[in-house]
Amino acid sequence: MLDLMTADSAGDLASAAPATKEELLARVALGDQSAFGELYDQIAPRVLGLVKRLLIDHAQSEEVTQEIFLEIWQSATRYEPTRGGASTWILTMAHRRAVDRIRSSQAGRDRDTKIGIRDLAVAYDHVAETVEVRIEHERVEKAMTRLTQLQRQAVSLAYYGGFSHSEVADMLHIPLGTVKTRLRDGLIRLRDELGVAS
Amino acid sequence: MTGRNEQHPADLAGAYALHALDADDTAAFEAHLAESERARIESAELNDTAVALGLAVAPVQPSSALKANLMSMLASTPQLAPLPRAAGPATTDAAASASETTPVVPPVASGTAPSGTTPDSPATPPSSGSAPGDAPRPHLSSATERAEARWFKRPARYLLAAAAAGALFVGGSLFGQTLNNYQFESQQAAGLAQINAADDSQRAATFTAEGQEATLVWSNTLGISAVLVDDLPALPSDQDYQLWYINGDGPASAGTFDSTGNGTAWRVLDGTMHAGDQVGITVEPNGGSDQPTSTPIVAFQS
Repeated sequence: MLDLMTADSAGDLASAAPATKEELLARVALGDQSAFGELYDQIAPRVLGLVKRLLIDHAQSEEVTQEIFLEIWQSATRYEPTRGGASTWILTMAHRRAVDRIRSSQAGRDRDTKIGIRDLAVAYDHVAETVEVRIEHERVEKAMTRLTQLQRQAVSLAYYGGFSHSEVADMLHIPLGTVKTRLRDGLIRLRDELGVAS
Repeated sequence: MTGRNEQHPADLAGAYALHALDADDTAAFEAHLAESERARIESAELNDTAVALGLAVAPVQPSSALKANLMSMLASTPQLAPLPRAAGPATTDAAASASETTPVVPPVASGTAPSGTTPDSPATPPSSGSAPGDAPRPHLSSATERAEARWFKRPARYLLAAAAAGALFVGGSLFGQTLNNYQFESQQAAGLAQINAADDSQRAATFTAEGQEATLVWSNTLGISAVLVDDLPALPSDQDYQLWYINGDGPASAGTFDSTGNGTAWRVLDGTMHAGDQVGITVEPNGGSDQPTSTPIVAFQS
């Protein structure tokens, strides 16, 4: 654990209540390994689920998940609760890592052939394991129906497929500038449908 | 691509939140974010929206080996120094990416350091961490003071900070090696952490031929060492820096590395260090040589 900790972020650790992910992350930032274990138990299946959605290959997805959790361990000191919840921080990191892996390796090429250009509707291949996930899934799926087909395809290819905006343009045979506006308009629509506001 | 973006950088907000931009467009958009509060708010909201898409994906249970592996790696994986508070306008994600691509604030300022070789004569105090960019740093002075106090008491702690941030740099320079990049970084960070944690951890400081501060840290009981050099000039792509252990048996290669020219370049040496070995760095053709083919730019006596 490094020492350059501000007085504020050192915080009080005395809370005995069931730990939220944010609390766990704050303890991880202080080098608490058991808090890391708890946080892992809470969110690893979601991280792996998302990564595997993008990478397809299970072994490789576990590898990337390991990298993500090491990054969580290393950079928990940099998590700022005022900027959003722990799940947001972690899933954003997870998505970025998965995309990095796709871009940086042959994995991307191999993966393309597996995915083909199927319509990447909201990813949900399995029966939901929890009510929470199922509700979230239905909410997103419903919001997705409010997008135009082009918006939906572009957002899905980019987020669930991990394709870059120029790849999306190639796949959908539309100009890059159009992809950019579709992605932005589509996400804005989703934001409004899902009631996301910061 | 960029030409079009310059007209409407705001159009990139969606692709940015979806991690669908290349490096140039990402930089262009982050420059836009730095200038516009409104863009930052939209960006944060779209990022949250993207996360909602992620939360709709069915969870997948990882193998139990994954957790066991991770837990066993924690003790040897250094944590990063926190960013200074009020660390600028970028979104969480942007800050995270920036921390990976921005060279570390040099831990030891060059030029003013004494050339002594003892831990008791450290150079100017280290900066407060590896904050990217030009973000305001209201707490810098106090953090620096604390860091300074720590530096004088426990240099090893400070080197850990350099390790955590520097690992990203070293890793970046080693693409093309057979090892998985992140795995390499982790091993490197773990190696440096081990040296620093060793009871017999020692260090020696000197300057390169061109005046850059160079530090060797090592542990004789572990038989490993690491070299850290500030602002080591970048080499042309057909050359690498190569490390050597030199003793009665002659020089033995201890790995190659690269430098971006600013920040701290460092690397844990391959192979085993023996008490009394010299450590040298030479410039060699890309990929390294079997034997040194040039005069060392720096040499240490352990």
